[in-house]
This record gives sequence, C-alpha cells and structure tokens, in this order.
Amino acid sequence: MASNMSAIFASFQQHINVEQDLREEIRQVNKDIDQKAREIQTTLQIIHQEGGLTKIADCCALTRKLFLDVKTGFSKLAVLIPEDQYYRFHDHWRFTMQRLAFLASLTVYLESGQLAMIEDVAQIVGVTSKREDGFHIDLEDYLMGLLQLASELARFAVNSVTNGDYKRPLHVSQFVAELNSGFRLLNLKNDGLRKRFDALKYDVKKIEEIVYDLSIRGLKSEEKSEDKSGASSTS
Amino acid sequence: MSHGQRGRRGGGNRPWRPQIGERGKNVVEGLNENSPVIQSFRKFASELDAKHDRHERLVKQSRDVTIESKRIIFLLHSIDKESKREAVLAEAQTRIASLNTTIFKEIAKELQGQDQYQYLRAVSPGIQEYIEAVTFMFYIRDGKLPHWDELQPSLSYGEEGQINLIPIEFFLGVGDLTGELMRCCIQSLGTGSTKSCYEACSFVRDIYIGFMSVGHTGHREFQRKLNVLKQSLTKMEMACYTLAVRGNEMPKHMLADVFSTGEVNDGADEGFCD
Repeated sequence: MASNMSAIFASFQQHINVEQDLREEIRQVNKDIDQKAREIQTTLQIIHQEGGLTKIADCCALTRKLFLDVKTGFSKLAVLIPEDQYYRFHDHWRFTMQRLAFLASLTVYLESGQLAMIEDVAQIVGVTSKREDGFHIDLEDYLMGLLQLASELARFAVNSVTNGDYKRPLHVSQFVAELNSGFRLLNLKNDGLRKRFDALKYDVKKIEEIVYDLSIRGLKSEEKSEDKSGASSTS
Repeated sequence: MSHGQRGRRGGGNRPWRPQIGERGKNVVEGLNENSPVIQSFRKFASELDAKHDRHERLVKQSRDVTIESKRIIFLLHSIDKESKREAVLAEAQTRIASLNTTIFKEIAKELQGQDQYQYLRAVSPGIQEYIEAVTFMFYIRDGKLPHWDELQPSLSYGEEGQINLIPIEFFLGVGDLTGELMRCCIQSLGTGSTKSCYEACSFVRDIYIGFMSVGHTGHREFQRKLNVLKQSLTKMEMACYTLAVRGNEMPKHMLADVFSTGEVNDGADEGFCD
C-alpha cells in the first residue's frame, strides 16, 4: 500500500478515534442529565394523583432543586462541545433537551399559570437561548417541549376534574388555545415538529370536551360571561 | 381554518378530524394579538423561516455544485489519448478553480457565523460530488490521493468565511471516486492502455484496504460505500485478470468488448436521482 495512502487513512482513523472518545464522554454526561430529567418527571406526576393538587407548591420547589443538578450537567456538557459544533453532536441530547423544555415549562405553568418563554426555559436548565451565546437550547426542541406540555395539560385537566377542581380545566383550555394559535403562526416544514404539532389538536379537543362536560352539568363556575352553550361542536 | 373546514364537514369521505369547537373559536378570536405569547411566536416564526430559507438556498447551491462536478468528471473521462491529457487537465483545473471562487464562496458566505453541521445535510451531496471530481483530477494528474487538508485552503476565504472539509465527507467522496476509477479502468482496456488499467486497479485496492482498516465510523453511509467499493474493485480485478490471461490472444480493442458484455449496470452509486 502506497505510503501516502496509508498516512491519509491513518490520520482519518485518528480523527475518528478522537471523535468517538468525545462522543463517549458526551453520552456519559447526557446520561446523568437524562436521569435527572426522569426524576423530575416522576416528581411532577404527583399533580395527577389524588390530593396532589394541594401539593403543587412543594412539588415545584422540589423540582426547582432537581433542576439545579441539570444545570450542573449542562455546564459539564457545554465545555465538551467545540465552538460552532453544537449540531455535530446535537442528536445526543436532543430528546433530553426536549423533555427538559417540557418539564421546565410545566413547572412554570404550575407555579404561575404562564407560558415559559424560551429564555425562561434556558435559564432553568442552565443553557443560553441563542446559538451565538454558547451552548443553547434549539428553538425546535423548545417548541417540541411545549407540545409535550399541551398533552400533559390535557391529562392534567382530566385528573383535576376527578380530584374536584373544576376551575383548572378552564384555565388550561385558555392556555392551550393560546399555545395553539401561537403554533399556527409558524410555517412548519414536513418534519418532526410538524407531525407533533398535528397531534396538538387532539389535546385541544380533549380539553374542550372536558369544559363542555363541566358546563353542560352546571359544574363550571360562571365567573366569566361565557355564552350559554359554550359547547363543543364535535358531537 | 376552522371556518373553512366547518362548511365541508360531513360531506365526502375525508377521514374525520377533530375541529376546534365553539369555545375554542371564541378563545382564538378573543386572543390578544399583542400578548407576549403571540409576540414571541411571531419571533419564532421568523427565526424558523430564516433557517428554512437558508437551508433551501444551500440545497440549491449544493445542487449546482453537483451538476458542475459531474461535468468535470465527465470531462476527465474524455481523456482517451495522451495528447489530449494536458488540455483536458488544464480545463478541469480551471473549472474546479472557478467552482471554488463562485458557488463555494457563496456557500461559505451563507454559512458564515453559522454552525456548519446544522446545514450539513443540505450541502453534503454537493461537497461529496466535488471531492469526487477533485480527487479524480488529482489521480489523473499525480496518481495520488490528496490529504483533505490539501484541499482545505481552496475552500477558505479568510474574512468571508470558509467551508470546513469534514473528513467523513471527504471519504464518502473518495468512495464515489472508486466508481469513476472503475469506469476509467474498463475504458482504458478499450484504448489498449493496459498500464493505466493495472494502475487504477491497484490504486482502488489501496483505497479499499484503507477503508477496511478504518474501524467503525458510526456513519451508515460509510458502510454502504464500502460495499459499492468492493464491487468496483472486484470488477477491476476481473478486468486485470482477463488482461493477463487473454491479453495476448486477441487485439486489445476487443478485450473491452469482452468486458463490457459482462458488465452489469451499476448506476446505483451515482445518485442521479437527485
């Protein structure tokens, strides 16, 4: 084999070795972050449980504490990634990031009833919100997280009724409707985000049916002047 | 959207889809256009649009690179006698140089300040085809495979950005090169230049050994290229065998015919579909 050829392949091999070592490190760090994310997710499941509604504040406080570990994790990850190579390794943490965007926005919703902006989410998980500023959260990952949030809130609406809170679904309905109209402003390509967005209408529908059930039975507290039917047309 | 769908509902065989109900409609209509949520979604929309637009522009530029690279390769194949060699090589080099200073420069500008890996999928086909053309030119001129670092300077534009040659992309291009070399080898049977036939064969064998020596790259495409490479090599080795066994029995130009009948259509590695 020509010497120049083997030199080229040797340097390619070396390049691959370096890359794979780096990927291995990234996998390790990401594993820890993902572990934390699962812990947070489990913690937040309390909102669906009987009597869980009263524990929301404590639960959020606990979640916030767990997010600190996530922050540490991401600061470890950030130093591993060379500048302008975020997307070379993005696949390693993409799903973790989406899940964390979901969990952070759920926490913010539970605390304040507001939609967490991308800056808020970035702050909670300990990354930046813009690529130029360093290790960031990708916009599409954030949006994916919000879509997961809508599904979780649909479930939350069901369970809060079961647990005797009839006001919650109204608020959730308002919140998700706003989210939905926000998403409609986006020109989505035929990609993963688009597919996930297509599922949003089912969540919207589910929440509306709950509101319908409540209003038809007079369980809805009439603080706002809703029109008398307020019914879903999906009969 | 909900208005339009309402009218068509129930008529026809469209699959049933949930509608935004009355209440949802009220909410949507009652939305404050200036709410922070809507405003930030407007910002997201323009951010996503900018990204998609850039992606589309890059895909288009990459396609232009592919077309020109294929033409350069075709041009290089037209070397059938020594006298044409210099002229063709000169033209190929000029065209490669003009690619570097036109389309690639635009791509570099487009990528400036961006994360190249984010748009890798858009530019990768063009870059691979370009690598194929350039390495083919190098092979014909020097009989050597260049190191990717040797190609990097011509894709760097200083202040105006640069296109980083990613080694894996380079080798995917080299994988395609072997297909061209096989064609070159069979063709040179026809022109009776047995020496270049053997040369091409041993060059490809070296590349094959190189590819084999590299362990798992974590790249799916890589494995596929290796298989195609092996097929090309087998074909070339058979050509050399025929040459050795029957080379003295018949006129040279007939050998090519012997071979081309046995050659199966292998357009698969070319990606003409794009």
